[in-house]
Amino acid sequence: MRSEKEIRETLRSWVLSKAKNLHGSVPGNSAPDHGAPDDGAPDHGAPDDGAPDDGALTDSTPLFEERRLRSLHLPELLLLLERLRGEPIDVDDLRPGDFRDIDTLVSRFCGVGVTA
Amino acid sequence: MSQARLKDAIASLTDTAARLSHLSQRSYQNPYTVLDWPTAVEPEQEWFSSPELLSLYGTPLWQGLDERTRRRLAFHEAANFYSLNIHGEKSLMQGLAARLYRRDLAEVADYLHHFLDEENKHSIFFGGFCTRYARVYRTRQIAGTQTRPRDVEDFLFFAKTMIFEEIADRYNWIQGRDIRLHQVARFINNNHHFEESRHLIFGRQLVAALWSACAPDWDGAQLADVRGELEQFFVASWREYYNPDVYADVGLDDPWGVAELAWAEPSQREHRRKVSSKCGHFLITTGILTKEPTDAF
Repeated sequence: MRSEKEIRETLRSWVLSKAKNLHGSVPGNSAPDHGAPDDGAPDHGAPDDGAPDDGALTDSTPLFEERRLRSLHLPELLLLLERLRGEPIDVDDLRPGDFRDIDTLVSRFCGVGVTA
Repeated sequence: MSQARLKDAIASLTDTAARLSHLSQRSYQNPYTVLDWPTAVEPEQEWFSSPELLSLYGTPLWQGLDERTRRRLAFHEAANFYSLNIHGEKSLMQGLAARLYRRDLAEVADYLHHFLDEENKHSIFFGGFCTRYARVYRTRQIAGTQTRPRDVEDFLFFAKTMIFEEIADRYNWIQGRDIRLHQVARFINNNHHFEESRHLIFGRQLVAALWSACAPDWDGAQLADVRGELEQFFVASWREYYNPDVYADVGLDDPWGVAELAWAEPSQREHRRKVSSKCGHFLITTGILTKEPTDAF
């Protein structure tokens, strides 16, 4: 069973790999600094390729509402969540807002609270 | 958007649509009588998918599977392939029905009727197999709530349809001719390929026409959004071929881990690139995409 810390780090790393204009938390950010993922994922510092910078990812950053991710990312996200919790997710039972941010994902699908 | 350009684009399709409508009428079929369904099948004795197309083929996991398990995987992956077609065709039918007799598409309405009718019949075959012998696997694709301008929605709808059908058609083409397969599996694949060949002709012409009519009016952000959406559609479509629910039914441990391993395996990445190449080439040569959708490979 994965710890909540591991789950959050894995989710952050996945979001940063898909939402190209977001970057990892930076010092001084008012949101909690959850630290960098330690799973060998690439460095997700601020974009330096001229792409618009949507700011730092926090666990309360809206993921779909502000179009950082597309609905077409949901199949991959569902696979990841199922893998993290070790059981299928009933897609017929999903509600609007279930994928709002990382805090929501953790509490809705991984059976743990919203605080790291 | 220039209405005149769109009108010309649709008008350019009328001859093709009329010819395809004629062919559809000529090959009109009754899905309830054209195929004799056996009472039962033997998943561990017969092949229901070509082994070379299976999601674990060429991976270290494949080497560890005995012959019976490989055939069982082929059976469940056949049901998964039919299921993903059912889900894809459900969305397609919704989109086609919404566009039937719309004023600016009226010139191709006759063919949209055939398109809709044929997609429904395909789903009857796919559903017939899954409900008789296996199950309909769920999809993890969920309809988005984002709305875009109508010309963008139209273009994305037909472009995604084309991508989905071109990938599936490659599987149909190979499996319809594979004499190792059970006759029901060969029939379903061959029949689908035969019918889809008309849809593919229509799809390519329509996508190219819509692109020529609409894209000149889109700004850089809109073009980036359209391209990003199509690139991610390749990923979402291909992901469905690596279904943990299938691996669980076959009895493999850690089905989500198996899906990730198979997805990342170089031989499978090359397989996806190869199967997608004709469609990708079309999208790049028309200027719709500027690069290969590498996230899918």
